[in-house]
Amino acid sequence: MASQSQWSIVPIGADDDQTPLFFSEHEWNTVEAATARIIPTDRDPGAREARVIRFLDRFLASIQFIYASADGSGFLQMSGKDAEAWEERIAHRQQVYREGIAEMDDLSEDRFGKPFVELTEQEQDDVLEALSGQPRPGRVSLEPQTLGDGGVGGAPPTNQPVSDEGLGFFEMLVLHTRQGFYADPVYGGNADSIGWRVIGYPGPESLADTVAGRYTTVDYMIPEATWPYAQHPAVQRYGVGQRERLR
Amino acid sequence: MQSRKRAPERVDVCIVGAGASGGTAAKVLTEAGLKVVALERGPWLRNEHFSGDELKYLNRNYVWPDPKLKPRTYRPNEETETQVVQFSPTPQGVGGGTIHWGGIVPRMTLDDFRLRSLHGEVPGSSLVDWPIGYWDLEPYYTRVEWELGTSGLAGANPWEAPRTAGYPTPPVKLSHYGRIFAQAMARMGHNTFPIPQAMVTEPYNGRKPFPYTGFWQQYPDPVGAKSSAANTFIPDALATGRLDLRPDSYVTQITVHPDGRAKGVVYRDADGDEFEQEADVVILGAGGIETARLLHLSANAQFPDGLANSSGQVGRNCTFHEYLFAIGLFDKEVVDPLYPWAGHYMNVMSFDFYQTDYDRGHLLGTLIFASMLGHPINWTFPGRPTWGQAAKDTDRDFFNHSMKLGVMVQDLPVESNLVDLDDDVKDAWGLPVARITHTPHENDYAHAKWQVDKNVEILEVAGASKVIPVHMDKITGNCCHEMGTARMGDDAATSVVNKWCQTHDIPNLYVFDGSFFPTSTGVNPTLTIMANAWRCSEYIIDVHAKGRTAEAVRGPRDLTTAQI
Repeated sequence: MASQSQWSIVPIGADDDQTPLFFSEHEWNTVEAATARIIPTDRDPGAREARVIRFLDRFLASIQFIYASADGSGFLQMSGKDAEAWEERIAHRQQVYREGIAEMDDLSEDRFGKPFVELTEQEQDDVLEALSGQPRPGRVSLEPQTLGDGGVGGAPPTNQPVSDEGLGFFEMLVLHTRQGFYADPVYGGNADSIGWRVIGYPGPESLADTVAGRYTTVDYMIPEATWPYAQHPAVQRYGVGQRERLR
Repeated sequence: MQSRKRAPERVDVCIVGAGASGGTAAKVLTEAGLKVVALERGPWLRNEHFSGDELKYLNRNYVWPDPKLKPRTYRPNEETETQVVQFSPTPQGVGGGTIHWGGIVPRMTLDDFRLRSLHGEVPGSSLVDWPIGYWDLEPYYTRVEWELGTSGLAGANPWEAPRTAGYPTPPVKLSHYGRIFAQAMARMGHNTFPIPQAMVTEPYNGRKPFPYTGFWQQYPDPVGAKSSAANTFIPDALATGRLDLRPDSYVTQITVHPDGRAKGVVYRDADGDEFEQEADVVILGAGGIETARLLHLSANAQFPDGLANSSGQVGRNCTFHEYLFAIGLFDKEVVDPLYPWAGHYMNVMSFDFYQTDYDRGHLLGTLIFASMLGHPINWTFPGRPTWGQAAKDTDRDFFNHSMKLGVMVQDLPVESNLVDLDDDVKDAWGLPVARITHTPHENDYAHAKWQVDKNVEILEVAGASKVIPVHMDKITGNCCHEMGTARMGDDAATSVVNKWCQTHDIPNLYVFDGSFFPTSTGVNPTLTIMANAWRCSEYIIDVHAKGRTAEAVRGPRDLTTAQI
């Protein structure tokens, strides 16, 4: 049995094929529409443009697209107990999605007499809200004593690993949509680094750059500053507590 | 299962776990001429296996234990049902926890060794002094820091104990979130300093400096600038030709001779074939949870309560350093971007609240440090909108205008807090998993709350428009600091190992990982684990290898009171 250190690299890309590997055409269109409400398109692109649906389809297809190889040239061929655990996990996620998509369509038919994909955006939001079991999240305000109503499917407030284990369909879809929008493009979503560009994250151009040491964020630091920092001219160029002073 | 593979030859020392402590021991013992086998449960991943891939490492457990294969269970107390959790997901593989560590490596302070003497008996806590003092470890702190190529600035932390040497590589560069923290602290009259990091910041011993990718905490480092055991001590040990490093080797039992001495260990290789590795000395370096589990799993007719457990203390007094923080959201119209993904997760630290101040109404304090809130997928805060326009706006407005100010809880030892076996939950190999029974001491809640509130105040001074405290609910093991389960002490009735980390019950069985910590201390434990492993390895070389007794080698003097 091959050790994890010996897993071979299958030279395959998540975008080699433009057709669904797991979803039916209807499921593909339905889930794509839902992701487009979870991360909508506004003045910036959203989940649809980032091809989050492709990310989800590859994730659910098999265990082929779980771990990109370090250099991004392909995906790792798992073996042994790791492979068994992932096969079991993916089979479970497939079932959650199949049943969840059907439930989403049932809700749509009940409320609006049409399948989800044929609803208006407002109607789709209503269905997702019903699916989530609580009001859609409100905006974060910087006014004191207020915070957005977070809604479900978020990461726990810790540095603990964020897992989809035990989540229901809607929470899982929200989490996976976020993964597909922001994960390295090698996984099939975040096309052209759209997700990263929306939020201003200059991620690596390729995984290979991170392996070779070509990727750096030092341009976004203050490399010339020396300790004691607060007294260094490069630091004193920047204010602190400006908001307070402006008031 | 009987195998046609050859039974392994008996060696001088068998180390269980090739991580921080096992790697250090392997280097020191092999360089002294001993023949060592190191059995590592996980794989031997090399730097070329690693990359800056958030999904792979943080969400798909490429180096963290898969909870389907290696679950653990948790319950607050004996009366509560257990839940299966991914508790303290320390990587299992060559390098151990140092594969993914943030490498924050402050030394213990002088006071950390004698909290019981300073504060007396604390109700509800099994607080004790360490049987060793700072000056027992100081020479080894220095050696380890220089082996690791540690970056830092000696003298910048006024609370640090005296040191006999500075740091070998310059401090890490300043980030913007570190900058704004330093500025706020200065405005409040407080000190900050560059975090001592197990990272080389310039070429060192053939290793390349870190290119500040931001992929650091919880990520292995493809460049090799991370001073993991796999990048430092283990290559040194292999270079002697006397280390036989066997990855993918799962130790399931420590075997014992009829005379009560350890005989060796039983392990399964990657194919599931079972072997017994015999050795003169067995060293456990599997981490505070897995070492306690292995001692319990090794129970036999002679030792029905588990090995080295005549005191009943194996697994008790476990401590984990819960990581808490305050989160600041800054107004992008007003404050310059903090670029929190730049650098290496954490940047700039203070010890100004570390010492006990009785006026606060509780004991102890914590180090604090600035950090990022997470890479894009896992960036979050309590109350973050999760979907729809509000979610997208939040990511766009605050991803570059947010930061954390962290607190590492210095949790008090409590005897009823325990790591033992859960006979109802088995791992993928059919063996009972570790069960964590833990309720924090009331002092943990008190000092954690005080410090999180203080961090809120600091972030407000820094100009945050909204600050969100994350207080302690329960222990989750989110630091991967596993301590206290085989306490070091002079009294065999109340501790598991002596001051050389030798078990009181079995003279050729040692525990080198964080299990030996009598108290958690408020500093990240790994530097101390490595320094102590070096110190105790020298003891093994002196005593076992040369057939002498401890007293003849070291003399009867009490090292606790060694000259300061």
